[in-house]
Amino acid sequence: MSLNRDAWVAIALLLIAGGLMVASFDIREPDYGQLSPAAWPRVILGAILAMGVIYLIQSLRSGADEPAPDGPKGARAFVAHWRNVLWVFALFLGYLLALPYIGMLIGAMAFVFLLLTALGGIGRTPIHLALALVSVGGMWALFTYALGVLLPTGSLTGI
Amino acid sequence: MVWDNLALALAEIATLETLLFMIIGTSAGLLAGSIPGFTIAMAVVLTLPFTFAMPPAQGLATMISVLVGGLSGGLMAGILTGIPGTPSSVATTFDGFPMARKGEPGFALGLGVWSSFCGGMISAVLLVLFAPQLAQIGLEFQPWDFFMLVIFALTVTASLAGENLIKGLIAGAIGLLARTVGEDEAVGVGRFDFGSDYLLTGFNFIAVLIGLFAFSQLLSDVRDPVKARQSLSHQGDVRIRIEHGRAIRELLKRWVVVIRSALIGMFTGILPGAGGSIANILAYDQAKKASKEPESFGEGNPEGIIAPETSNNAVEGGSLTPLMALGIPGDVTAAVLLGALLIHDIVPGPTFIAEQPVLAYSIFVAFFAANFIMLGLQSGMLRVFVLVTRIRMYMLAAVILAFATIGVFSLNNSTDDLWTLFWFGLLGFFMRQLGFPLAPMILGVVLGNVAELNLSRALAIDTDITLFVTRPWAMFFFIIAVFSAAFPYFQAQREKGKAWTRFYAPAMLACAALPLVLMGGAVRPVLAGVALLAAGWLTWRALSPRPA
Repeated sequence: MSLNRDAWVAIALLLIAGGLMVASFDIREPDYGQLSPAAWPRVILGAILAMGVIYLIQSLRSGADEPAPDGPKGARAFVAHWRNVLWVFALFLGYLLALPYIGMLIGAMAFVFLLLTALGGIGRTPIHLALALVSVGGMWALFTYALGVLLPTGSLTGI
Repeated sequence: MVWDNLALALAEIATLETLLFMIIGTSAGLLAGSIPGFTIAMAVVLTLPFTFAMPPAQGLATMISVLVGGLSGGLMAGILTGIPGTPSSVATTFDGFPMARKGEPGFALGLGVWSSFCGGMISAVLLVLFAPQLAQIGLEFQPWDFFMLVIFALTVTASLAGENLIKGLIAGAIGLLARTVGEDEAVGVGRFDFGSDYLLTGFNFIAVLIGLFAFSQLLSDVRDPVKARQSLSHQGDVRIRIEHGRAIRELLKRWVVVIRSALIGMFTGILPGAGGSIANILAYDQAKKASKEPESFGEGNPEGIIAPETSNNAVEGGSLTPLMALGIPGDVTAAVLLGALLIHDIVPGPTFIAEQPVLAYSIFVAFFAANFIMLGLQSGMLRVFVLVTRIRMYMLAAVILAFATIGVFSLNNSTDDLWTLFWFGLLGFFMRQLGFPLAPMILGVVLGNVAELNLSRALAIDTDITLFVTRPWAMFFFIIAVFSAAFPYFQAQREKGKAWTRFYAPAMLACAALPLVLMGGAVRPVLAGVALLAAGWLTWRALSPRPA
């Protein structure tokens, strides 16, 4: 029997909730306080487990997923379908990882420019560059000078 | 006393700086509302970081301006291009766009602008009248009642937010669970930290909200490479003059529609989880049913613009009412406002209006003022709001994502919050793709601490857990929660023509009468009697033979 997407989600949910329920027994029990710190999370996890079982039963009763429409399949088709989302994930992750080294001003400018180029194509590079410089530069100046927020500087760039 | 507070609140809001921020906020809201795919909640949540450095009244006034602007911004794009800027203005396009195409765009816009203004003003008046009354009732609530009120809010939101109740409830529970990560507020014990300092500090809930809303929404908006590169709209004649005089005369002539739609909006706003997206359709439907010429709806009937635009602006007065009176937000945007209050160490609840009268009245005054600002800006900046719909979504998404990171960092000057933004953005995106509604999760995140705190207080007072269903108010919320949880099943069964569904409403009324009787006093037993009479009448109607 092939499981539908919702059934897989329900199983994953039950496994995660089950794992967290087990982890809840590692929460330290202090000698004071009326309600144990683990009690409320366990109530929620109990509810998630109960609803997860109902969700799984619902999913199993609804039958298999409808067949995907004709078209390319496999890893290449998957990447093509989710191309933009994957770009956003990858560039955002890169931005966060690079932040301690290049700082927020340069990091955010690079992130916006690269994301614009990845999503909009290289044909509009001057517009993308100008947009990245002006939008991030403006926001950085606003937060730094008008709101007095010290935005992160990079260990390599110093700004 | 009221007038003193009002005068002090006016002094807080009527400063040049605050009014300037309100004008900027309303403009930003109108722009956000004009852009399809850019939700009002996203605009309000992104405004939050700007308000940290402001005094509470000024910060809240700015956010309320964004909210009021956002509620009205959708009508411009909807009427001129046929693409609703927000889900709250979907029904406006049904008659607004045909009227504009018939050569009366100025009249259609006039009706929309003035209906929005009337809806906002009526709900502002009702907010001022009802919030203090509701707060008086809220003073009766004990921890058991507050806990059940949170459960009720989550259940109603889950039942209204999506097609699948179970998915809604799971989303709400995930929101509650997310809030338990980190140090327990009562005794300071770490939970689910797995030895990580990042998890031990817990997730900053504003970063969670921005991740869930802004990040995941933008990912969904740019998912399709072709649509991401297209302008949102190529259409829209921007050389139009709004016909104010004619629109005002039309509204005065159709004042019943205005009042009815405002009340629908207000009531929908009070219900947790039901917002402008439901109110505008409901009000449109009611206007059509009550009209002497229902066949003209969809072809440019003025009431088809008045009803949805009045109701969607009245929603916010409704959703602010339980927030200000009980500390329970009526919708996601009110939940973000609650977040703004909490950042300033102000915890709304039944004593909020009594203990912070100037701030409470500042919110009332800001709500009124924002509607006037919205009216002026909509009339003067029409061209800008239509031009903004020509922006390409990928450009908007990239810039907003960068802005979100700067804003989220400024919450605590911590890069940990950026990771929270990222993880919850991913989680929100996957949940959207898998059909889980995010509204219950947002409410779960916002109300998680309220629920746990009240559960803890209740058990500290008395370990008897039956009090959660036997105290009158707790019982009332429990009954309504059970019936609202069963509502999607009831709807499905009613469509199949099942006979038992005719007894659903009488059963709910009869059950709700019991806690009302137990509350005692003079009015509530009378209300219980009315509920029982209504239940009896509905049962009699259900049992009466139906005409063939």
